[in-house]
Amino acid sequence: MKVLIIEDESGLRESIENYLSEGGNVCEVAPDYNSAMTKVSLYNYDCILLDITLPDGNGFNVLKYLKEKGSPDGVLIISAKNSLDDKIAGLDMGADDYLVKPFHLSELKARLMAIVRRKSFNGSNQLVFNEIVIDLQAKEVKINNTPLKLTRKEYALLLYFIANKNKVVSKNAIAEHLWGDGVDMADNFDFIYSHIKNLRKKMEEAGTGDYIKAAYGMGYKFTDQ
Amino acid sequence: MKLLTKYNRVNLISAVIVLFITGLIYYQAISYILNDQVDKDILIEEQETFAYVKQNNSLPKVVQYKDQQTYFVPVKGPVERRFINTDYYNVKEHDSESGRALITSVQVKGQTYQVTIVESKVETEDLIQIIFGITIGVTLFLLLILFVVNRLMLNRTWQPFYDILRQLKVFSLVDNKEIIGSSSNIDEFNELNSAVTSMASRVKTDYKDLKNFTENASHELMTPIAVINSKLDSLIQTGEFNAEQSGLLNDVYNAVARLTRLNQSLLLLVKIENNLLRDEQPVDLKKLMGEKVNQFKELFVNKGLVLECNLEEKQVVASLYLMDVLLNNLLGNAIRHSSGNGSVIIKLSADQLIVKNTGENSALHKDDIFKRFNKGGKSEGSGLGLTISKQICDNYRFGLSYDYQEPYHVFVVFF
Repeated sequence: MKVLIIEDESGLRESIENYLSEGGNVCEVAPDYNSAMTKVSLYNYDCILLDITLPDGNGFNVLKYLKEKGSPDGVLIISAKNSLDDKIAGLDMGADDYLVKPFHLSELKARLMAIVRRKSFNGSNQLVFNEIVIDLQAKEVKINNTPLKLTRKEYALLLYFIANKNKVVSKNAIAEHLWGDGVDMADNFDFIYSHIKNLRKKMEEAGTGDYIKAAYGMGYKFTDQ
Repeated sequence: MKLLTKYNRVNLISAVIVLFITGLIYYQAISYILNDQVDKDILIEEQETFAYVKQNNSLPKVVQYKDQQTYFVPVKGPVERRFINTDYYNVKEHDSESGRALITSVQVKGQTYQVTIVESKVETEDLIQIIFGITIGVTLFLLLILFVVNRLMLNRTWQPFYDILRQLKVFSLVDNKEIIGSSSNIDEFNELNSAVTSMASRVKTDYKDLKNFTENASHELMTPIAVINSKLDSLIQTGEFNAEQSGLLNDVYNAVARLTRLNQSLLLLVKIENNLLRDEQPVDLKKLMGEKVNQFKELFVNKGLVLECNLEEKQVVASLYLMDVLLNNLLGNAIRHSSGNGSVIIKLSADQLIVKNTGENSALHKDDIFKRFNKGGKSEGSGLGLTISKQICDNYRFGLSYDYQEPYHVFVVFF
């Protein structure tokens, strides 16, 4: 998978680059508008992470250029502006998703993977992780060809884990992914623990390996290693 | 007291006093002059009497002129010569009139006589009465004219003042209405107009600057927060952590999350205040509330809260995003402040949405509860949730009220 990160904030850019460039992924970076335009005019990417506010130009113009060119690249806008207008404008112009800063890297990865999957398999696809097969269109999970009944949140959680496999995903990131804005009402994250316990139990009963591992009380890691 | 009333009162009272005093002086002066005239007549009569006595050495015949009578009375002692006011008996009309008399004395053949010369003042009095009447009439007329003129003049002259006052009363920092002063030919009012107009626009500009500052500051903060967040996410990939380290990391995570929410809330508040969210559309509140309840299901279960939900059909035309925020806040509030194993009751009907929860056994302060950064000591919230809710309700002219009905804390949105 080839990803272009257009982001002027070096700290954020490096973190994203490090987080994404594992497992055969190639990340290229562009810290400003001009280098971004150069890169997108020369190469194709599976997904482009696009910051709207760049020091020497507007990220929307990059998006506009890509769409005029008829580029198939997926575009995920990452913006500090939580503005509905920007969001609508971005999506109208053909961006695939819009993520507001600050975000968790795991959330970014999950969104990115969703875009790439949609793009590469034309929407009707299967996600496979060892014996787990997920039909993304029907939202069905099969373990060794046996259907596994999951609640909506458990399904979302499983997808999230698989997108971030081999990574430690923090409890905050999980809570925000599943409960959105409502998460700030939680006094603690016990409810995540019980949620994950349920998912793990269902999966193990269906015959999967023990993939969900607690990571030092901070979060969880989905891994088969 | 209105200015007009006050002004009229002072004006009329002083006019009455001045006119009254003038009247008195006028009356005195005219009385004096007329008395003097009568006295002169009497003196002439006295002269004539004395002349007669001197010439004839006998008393003149008692004569009765038209308005004058002379009497002679023999007396023993000396008589003090003086003018007095007395009655005059009109023989023809058999009536007593007011009169003026001179009492003097004359000696005829060794006998002293007291001479009384009386003259009627009735004509003088009539004159004075007419003059007095006219004066009173003029006075009353003047007062009436003053009253009416004051009323008309003041009302019209002060119109620009009332105009600007009316606009000041409805002046709001938030809306886009400017204060427009009506022009007047009175310099003071023109000055007031321009002062108020420029003050209003200055205040609005300052307020706008302040809001822009809040918005920009919050935006600028998002980038470093994003960096911290991403670095934390990267940090936890790096290896093994002991319990202490992961505890610290968790605390940092939570603090960053809170900072993020606080910042987002501030931004949202600015946006609502600036009326920047205009994606108005019909929103099915029943459906939305159902989704929210479903979304927060685990949180209810986790806290051991019993949820009682009674939703009727209700549609409002509003921003879906803001309605989402409103329900989120109300529901989140109820969950956050519920005592463990308490209950949360949600009722949606055509005219109101009630969210109530058990919690601390004392009412919250009604006036402060919707103020910014007003929150309970133990609250982990941003302190902006209810402020935002209130602002959203204000925007759509919904009412939002809080009440404590033991054991429930009750929030009601009136549509």
